[in-house]
Amino acid sequence: MRGGSQPPEELPAQQQQQGEVVEFPSPARATDIALDELEMVYAFIYARVGNRADAEDLTQQVAMKAIPRLREGAPPSAIRGYLFATARSVLGAFWSVRLGLSESELREDLAMIPPAPAASDESAERARQILSRLSDNYRRVLELRFLHGYSLKEVAFEMKSTVGAVKVMQLRALRAAAKVQIDG
Amino acid sequence: MGEKPENRLERIVSDLMHGRRLKLRAKDAEEKEAIIMAARLAAARSGPQRMSPAFRQKLAGQIDAMPRERWVTRRTALVAGLGIAAGTVGGLLAGRDLEGPQAVAAKEIVPDGGKWIEVGALEDFPVGSARQVRAGAIGAFVTRTDQGVIAVSSICSDLPCELWWDRSHSLLVCPCHNKTFSAQGASQEAYPLPPLDTVRVRTTTDGKVEVFGI
Repeated sequence: MRGGSQPPEELPAQQQQQGEVVEFPSPARATDIALDELEMVYAFIYARVGNRADAEDLTQQVAMKAIPRLREGAPPSAIRGYLFATARSVLGAFWSVRLGLSESELREDLAMIPPAPAASDESAERARQILSRLSDNYRRVLELRFLHGYSLKEVAFEMKSTVGAVKVMQLRALRAAAKVQIDG
Repeated sequence: MGEKPENRLERIVSDLMHGRRLKLRAKDAEEKEAIIMAARLAAARSGPQRMSPAFRQKLAGQIDAMPRERWVTRRTALVAGLGIAAGTVGGLLAGRDLEGPQAVAAKEIVPDGGKWIEVGALEDFPVGSARQVRAGAIGAFVTRTDQGVIAVSSICSDLPCELWWDRSHSLLVCPCHNKTFSAQGASQEAYPLPPLDTVRVRTTTDGKVEVFGI
């Protein structure tokens, strides 16, 4: 059975110095290593598409594209770098196909994607920062709808408004949020 | 009559909040920024995600089925899996690490029968920022540095696509595969591409920038 990360194993110092002669424990272990890297890719993609089905499809595409191209001797940092570069390109293609745009039209969005995964809950922190820069009404509608999961009707009730007005406000709030520049 | 933008966006938001796939239409491109933001906010609600056990297992099967000798070999796995810094294995890894073109010297573009063509005044080139210019048939990005001016080709070294200057990251970006280069033309990728070709550039005594074009 394949689990998550396994604890590092100790190697005799002599073997560490002679990396060439150390036998790799098992092929299944190599698959686990690739899967652990892909876990980070999955989290990275999910944070950008917001749903499991698309995140799974795209992660699978990254694995199929990138893993056969990895070569002997690639250091782990390069493996991760290559997986994330592939993820970025796969995400670009995803948005361009879905929205009927050329990738060059999306280039600003792609350029904004950081090249490495964040260890903590990057998407929640980023969302918090973005929302904090919006006007009260815009922030409230997005908080209720996205972070608390309210329906339109519930948001309308909470904000003493109508469903139609909330829908328009949601659109404007998302447009405004998209314009917020967050450093890093 | 077309769907109102607020209704269109609500349909997408509703799908996201129910964990459904993004079903987008070409018309939705008008609201691409808002849609991308909606996806990010929806993801923020669920927090950092891990693959489901079923998906992880499926992926494991696919990875296992890949040709074994082409990917993570025992030495790579040794380094990656046992937490030994790549540097400690040192020379074993040096020089044979990455897929794709390896570092090669940049070529200089010197057109036959070329001539110096003025592309602007020196003060038009802010220090540290690359500006796209055209010297006849030669397209280049000219960057002013503390030492003078440098110029690289405006065409990617890997795919024949016109680069653009990403001001926020101070990098040249190839839109065809989103690869990046420094203003000096060095590839910024983990799997480096060849450097950009260089272009001859000079400043004149009266403060003009000239590129050798044709």
